[in-house]
Parts: sequence; C-alpha cells; structure tokens
Amino acid sequence: MIYQLLEQIISGLISGASYALVGAGLSLIWGTLKMINFAHGEFYMLGGYALFLGGSVFGLHPALAALAAVLVVMVISCVTEKSLISSLLDKPGWDVSPFVITLGISIFLQNLALKVWGERFRNVPYFDSSIYEVLGVRISGQRLIILAVALIVIAVFMIFLKKTRMGWSLKATAQDREAATLVGIDIKSIYMWTFGLSGALAALAGAMLAPIYSVNPWMGIPLLIKGFVVCVLGGLGSLEGAILAGFALGIAENLGVMFWTSEWKDVISYSLFVIVLWVRPSGLFGEKEW
Amino acid sequence: MKWFSVLIPLIILGGLPVLVQDPYIIHILILCLMFAALAQSWNLLVGFTGIFTFGHQAFFGIGAYFSAILAIRLGISPWLGLVIGGFAASLLGIVVGIPCLRLRAAPYIAIATLGLAEISRIVAQNLVNITRGEMGLSGIPEFPPLGPISFLEGRVPYYYLIFILFLLTTALAFWIAKSPLGLALASIRESQDAAESIGVNVPRVKIIIFTISSFLAGLIGGFYAHYILILTPSSVLGVPIMIELVAMVLIGGMGTLMGPIVGAFLVTLMTEYLRVVGEYRLLIYGAILVITMIYMPSGLITSPIIRRISLITGFLRRIVVGGMSSS
Repeated sequence: MIYQLLEQIISGLISGASYALVGAGLSLIWGTLKMINFAHGEFYMLGGYALFLGGSVFGLHPALAALAAVLVVMVISCVTEKSLISSLLDKPGWDVSPFVITLGISIFLQNLALKVWGERFRNVPYFDSSIYEVLGVRISGQRLIILAVALIVIAVFMIFLKKTRMGWSLKATAQDREAATLVGIDIKSIYMWTFGLSGALAALAGAMLAPIYSVNPWMGIPLLIKGFVVCVLGGLGSLEGAILAGFALGIAENLGVMFWTSEWKDVISYSLFVIVLWVRPSGLFGEKEW
Repeated sequence: MKWFSVLIPLIILGGLPVLVQDPYIIHILILCLMFAALAQSWNLLVGFTGIFTFGHQAFFGIGAYFSAILAIRLGISPWLGLVIGGFAASLLGIVVGIPCLRLRAAPYIAIATLGLAEISRIVAQNLVNITRGEMGLSGIPEFPPLGPISFLEGRVPYYYLIFILFLLTTALAFWIAKSPLGLALASIRESQDAAESIGVNVPRVKIIIFTISSFLAGLIGGFYAHYILILTPSSVLGVPIMIELVAMVLIGGMGTLMGPIVGAFLVTLMTEYLRVVGEYRLLIYGAILVITMIYMPSGLITSPIIRRISLITGFLRRIVVGGMSSS
C-alpha cells in the first residue's frame, strides 16, 4: 500500500511537471498581457514536432534537438505576438478578442501540422531507456529526465525573474503597465518576450513528453485544458501558484486513479477545479479575484 | 419601416423549402437555422450580459442526450422529451451559473465553464451502459406525427420545426432586449459595480439569463437528437461546437440581434461549401477567425462595409416604400 502510494506520488510529480511548465507559461501571459492564450497547446505540439524532426530527420542528439525545438518555437511565438496579437492590444473588446484570435491561431496551426506532417502519430525514442530504482520504486530514465529538466528550468526561470533586469521589467509590466512605461520600460517588447518565453516553456514540455506520448497534431488540446485548470487553481497570474498547482494536480490525479478507474481521472481533476472555484474564486494561491 | 427588413427575410426563409426541393440543400438550411438559434441563445449570455462562457456545448448536448435516452429507454414522446431536455439543460445552467456569479474576468469564466462542459463530455463517454459512449447512441426515434404532419418522410417538416424554434428564440431575444431584464443585462455588461449600485440584483439576473439561455440550448439539442438520430459525446458535447458558436457570434457581431443569425448562416454555409478545398478547410477557417478579429473586431454587422451597404439599401427602401405610400 505504502509502496503503491509512493509510486503514484512519484508518477504524479512527473505528470505534474508538465502541467507546471504549461501552466506557468499561461500564467505568465495572463500576468503581463491580461489575456488567455488558446494557442498555447499548439506551441506545445510544435515543440513535440520540432524535437521529432530534429532527432529523426537531422539526426541531432536529443538534448540538442530539445534545445533547437525550444528556440524555434520561441521565435514562432514571438512572431505571432508581434504580427497578430499586438495589433489588438488596447483596442475595444480586449477581454474577448485575444481569446478568439488565439482560438483561430490554434485551429490554423493544428491543421497546418496536419497538412504538413499528416495524421500519423510519430513515435520518438526515449532519451534514456534504462530503468532506475528510486526509494524502491522503478522509474524509467525518461521520466526522471522530465522531472529533473522541469525542476531546473523552473528554478532558472524564477532566478531570471528575480535577478535580471529583463525579469524585473517583466514583473513591473505585470504589476502596473502605466508605471512601467513611465520608468522607461518598452512594454511592447516586453509583451513579445513574454509570449516568446511562454511559448518556449510549452515547447520544452512538448519536447520532453514527446517520447512518452507520441507526437500528433491534436496533442495540445488536452494539455491546454489541464494548463487552464492549473492556472486558475494557482490563481491567475501567479507564477508560483501555477507551478505548485501543477504538481498538486498531477499528484491528486494519480492518487485518484488508485480509487477510481483511469477513465475518471479527468473528471476528478475538473471537479476539483470547479469546487475550488466555488469556494475560493481567486484560486488556491492567488490574492486577487478577477 | 423596420418591419420591412424583418418580414422579407422571414418570407424568404419560410418559402425556401417550396422553392428548393433538393434534400441536401434543405439539410444545410436546417443546420443554418439550428446554429442560428443556438448562437442566439449563447449571445444572450455573451453579447447581452457580457458573460463569456465557453461551455455552451454542454447544454446542447445534455438536451440532446436527455431527450434521446428518455425516448429510447422509457418511450417518452420526443415532443415531451424536447422540453424535458430543455429543463435538464437549464438545471445544469444553474449549476454552471452559480460559480460564475463571483467570477468577473472573461477568461476565468471561460475556463470554469469549459471545465464543467468537459466533465459532462467525459461522464457521457464513460457511462457506456447508458449513453453507449463513443460507439454512438443510435436508434433514436423520430418525432411522432403532429396531426397530419408526418416526420418520417422528407426533411421539410423538420425544416419548419427548426424554423419555429428559431423564430421563438429570436423573438425571445428581441423581447429580452426590449424588456427591463434586457436593461439590467446591459447594465451588468457595461459595469457590474454600477449595476449593483443602481439596485440591479446581479446574481438573480445572471441566474435568470443562464437558465433561459441553457433551456434554449437544451431545446435545440433535443431537436438535433431527433433529427440526426445518432449521438456521440464528442460530436454534441465536444469543444468543436463551442468553437463554431464563437466563430458565428464573433463574425456576425456580438450583442446584436442579427449578428448571430448572419454569422450562423455564413459559417455553416462556409464550412459546407469549403468542403471543396478539402483538407484546407479548417486551415482557412482558423485564418478567417484571425482576420475577422484584426479587421472587424465588432463583427460583420457593425463593420463599416455593411453599414455602407445598409445605408444604400435603406435609401432604396425609402424610395420604394415612400413611393408606395404616396401613391
């Protein structure tokens, strides 16, 4: 029983790592631009495809392919912001228009991927196919890598936000846009970089998870919804909240599977989410009600 | 002479099945009217009240499943099932509405309602012994004959049935827009705080509009079930329906009476006739959404092009009508 519990908690941490990465990206965008990015799942999907192409077409080392995937998607998402989103900024209807435009981008990218790479599910070999024993639980190397990379990236990202000038201006823009402009922050470029970073986090998750779930044009949708849930659970705009909520949701889902069959896994997590909204609309860690 | 611009499209829509015999075209028109009614019911929430929900498919699907299952299992007449489905949907509407009372930001509400809709989809998928899951619920009976009108042959009776539902929905939306309720809704849309301060009972009004909107969606869902005769969770409870509704209302024009109708016809016809371009269909669809948001953020109805056209038609109408009344 204890062994089983431990096993579920560890696998919960691992799926939580991907939720945290995706949720953090969504939360970052909400924090600075006050918008929801419906195309976030497609950046995750593009990350998966970029890794697949880098690995099996160009024969890159997995680490290099993952890095390339992150960079490529970062550029794509910067371009998306600059060319499409920024023209809508501060126009009337800003509460709904980004939601709809990113919905359009999402449909577009999904079907572009379908057109270019076909509907076949692409399998990517494990980065590390050996099995390790941690605390008496057997885990594949791939899953350990995911957890380690996610933790490192999240830590680096936090340090980046806290210690660098870029990070400061990002947070300043999130806190108060007018004040940020007054102290000379170019908020237009901050918006672009926010989008880029958020896309990079999603692509990283996509690249890391590609070997476990095979790559396909629709892989972004379920994870996007999970990302939304994580984002709201953690309190919209709270980065730490999203990360904590990501891990919490991963563990809660996996513990739920011990008592119910796995088909009900998503029902558990969405119900949890609705209950939290009911009793604490600002999210578990958020200070502000939106 | 506003009745003029309402009456003529109505006469055209009412007379179409007489002119067009092709069952395929009638089918497309049925879908157009159905989506117009559904988009109108969502517009009550998003356009009239400013509550951007993203889970309207749940009401549609619940209505469809309730009516279908009641008819199959208990032999309840689809006519009654239609209404029961509507009530089931409005019950869900209240459940969805309550957590949305305290939420204000559009994305928050969108995510919350999406979560609830996804729950209903997965539940329908998992309760295989009731809904048959993704295998599809088949064997749904058609509407029993209504007097001399039989629903077994041809699609024309279905056309008139959905036409009536469409008229009811539009009339209700029109009535709400003119009523004190409509004013309360508009005040909530413009500013919740201001609405509260002038004495609008915001939670009550929100629950009322959630109930009405979800009832209508459930009713239309019931129609869909007894028309298409096969249901799967992903087709009636899935996100794609919601995406279509967003496209229709946004392209047509949010918060206007005509917007959702024009949008529904445009998008339905477009998705049907874009089948020619095959795999590029959805690609174009996504691009159109993006372009609409950038160049006509408030929709087609209020865009400068249409206003210019309606200026011209208004001018022509004045000549025609003026000419008739003077002679």
